[in-house]
Amino acid sequence: MGQGCSGNLQERCWRCGFSVNRDLTVMMLSWEFPPRIIGGISPHVHYLSKSLARNDVKVYVVTCDFPGAPAHEVVDGVEVYRVDSYKNPSPDFATWVYLMNVNMQKEAAALIHDLGGAVDVIHAHDWLVATAGIGLKHVFRKPLFATMHSTEIGRRNGIHFDYERMIHETEAWLTYEAWKVICCSDYMVGHVQWAFGLPSDKLVMVPNGVNYEVYKKYDNEDFSQFRRRFALPEEKIVLFVGRLVYEKGVHVLVNALPKVLSKVNAKLVIVGNGYMKDQLSGLVKGMGIAGKVMFTGFVDDDTLRRLQRCADVSVVPSLFEPFGIVALEAMAAGSPLVVSDTGGLSEIVEHDVSGVKAYVNHPESLAWGITKVLTDDGYANWLRNNAYKRVQEKYDWDKIAQQTKTIYNNVLGEYTKSFWAQPIT
Amino acid sequence: MRVLIFSWEYPPRVIGKLADYVKTLAEQLGKNKVQVYVVTYHDYLTGGHDDSEGVKSIRVTNPVRTHIGVLTWVLTLNQEVERAAANVYYDVNRQVELIDVHDWHFIPAAVTLKKAFGVPFLYSVDSLEEHRSHGANSPFNMAIKSIEWLGMYEAKQLVVKSGWMGDEIVRVYKAPVEKIRVIPPDSATWVKDVLETYKSVAGGAGSQ
Repeated sequence: MGQGCSGNLQERCWRCGFSVNRDLTVMMLSWEFPPRIIGGISPHVHYLSKSLARNDVKVYVVTCDFPGAPAHEVVDGVEVYRVDSYKNPSPDFATWVYLMNVNMQKEAAALIHDLGGAVDVIHAHDWLVATAGIGLKHVFRKPLFATMHSTEIGRRNGIHFDYERMIHETEAWLTYEAWKVICCSDYMVGHVQWAFGLPSDKLVMVPNGVNYEVYKKYDNEDFSQFRRRFALPEEKIVLFVGRLVYEKGVHVLVNALPKVLSKVNAKLVIVGNGYMKDQLSGLVKGMGIAGKVMFTGFVDDDTLRRLQRCADVSVVPSLFEPFGIVALEAMAAGSPLVVSDTGGLSEIVEHDVSGVKAYVNHPESLAWGITKVLTDDGYANWLRNNAYKRVQEKYDWDKIAQQTKTIYNNVLGEYTKSFWAQPIT
Repeated sequence: MRVLIFSWEYPPRVIGKLADYVKTLAEQLGKNKVQVYVVTYHDYLTGGHDDSEGVKSIRVTNPVRTHIGVLTWVLTLNQEVERAAANVYYDVNRQVELIDVHDWHFIPAAVTLKKAFGVPFLYSVDSLEEHRSHGANSPFNMAIKSIEWLGMYEAKQLVVKSGWMGDEIVRVYKAPVEKIRVIPPDSATWVKDVLETYKSVAGGAGSQ
């Protein structure tokens, strides 16, 4: 099968022996799926799955349960199964992950059995579902795909303890067992190849997507009332969205703020929560700029999109960033963008064309970029328009789903020649 | 009849008395025309081996070398047990009638294989976390107990070596009495009783 294949598979059912014609079928394993949202994997798997479904791929998502969410439902054409995520107290997070995987694997095995084995590929997202994915691969003899959204060695800036090494080795095992390892940026391809010593032909880059349609409904809206909840009419809004953790570099942005304020009247709006929140608000008070910074905590989707829409500049000052989906959201919302030149952000943004790149961990450089955008409307509009075009060209979920489907089909073409795919005589 | 036996110890790896027990069991079954595959762990003597009485043993190791405790070690070893068991299953044209899993370690693998292939399993209880941990109930003990509970719930029959242990699994896990078979290893009819239990449980594709 190649790129032109419709994705229809003809095969013999191993139980009854009859030939069956059906759509390409994938089982996604993810520890989070809406309404359970912990990080970026949840929206990624949601959009990828429903875009695949729109492109004639049958998708079964097996994920953790969530209070009030049904054990089985069909969401945007995607079959979602939620499993008991092991709710006894656990010794630590990693042990919980492995215990949760016991349940996930058990339920997924029962589901594939009930479907008469009619699942063509298994797609695991991160080490959080590694053991379930690896076990299912061998039990059903299906090709396994792994999307590495992040790595332990990247998150911790090195491996320092046995706990971290165990997770690192579990990630290595998952990438070893996977037929293809998918990463969302060229940066992550290089990082994952280095971290686990993988052959380069095993890695494939498929970008993360963004749903730019959701911002269209705000096109003709007057935001003057809305923005007063966050800033005075004469203040420009500088927006940060993300977890308040070290690697997101919020402290760098706070340190850049006085330089910005010396040139422009602005307000820094910080959306999100994290373990650094108290430290950051202490820092802001100590610097005497508490009146120029607002911490909103978590906000709902609608408020977030309006904020992104009316921000005068969005800033992503990360120190480590595998992809940087929040940068794509700003581009889709039409907010001019300033990012630190690292990881996936370096690829998303073209300097002086679709955004401004600043040096990593460098408040002066960041302040220069923010000030430039806030004081030059022509420049800001140029960035805004270019960024929006770029999002439509490269980060459209339908295009990403088609790329993913092509990768599935190419691997299935290789798989059908392997002894695993041969009928038992 | 073709049977897979799962045990975390099997000679030359001897931790307690379970290793020699499983060895004797496999040999006796072999003598009685049961095709036995023992899937077990060894750190480096990995792969398949032909033992006496036609018994085949397959040893797997843990691909994750660093661990923070026995629990994470066991939970990541199960996928290799599944891989070895699935390889046997496909090699013998799916003709596996039964899995006999000894103690808690490889219960996750037995449960997954039951759900995937419809092959039933026996849970042979040698010891319980309740007794090993002297009633401690930390999250660590609780996790092992939850795996033992899963085994009790999913197994077709529970084989114990004494009437006392039969009472204990009823007391601790509320195991249904009709699932329990007491087969003392020192009994004169030991092999005959094990064989009878196997025959009463055997199912899967091979029995059709």
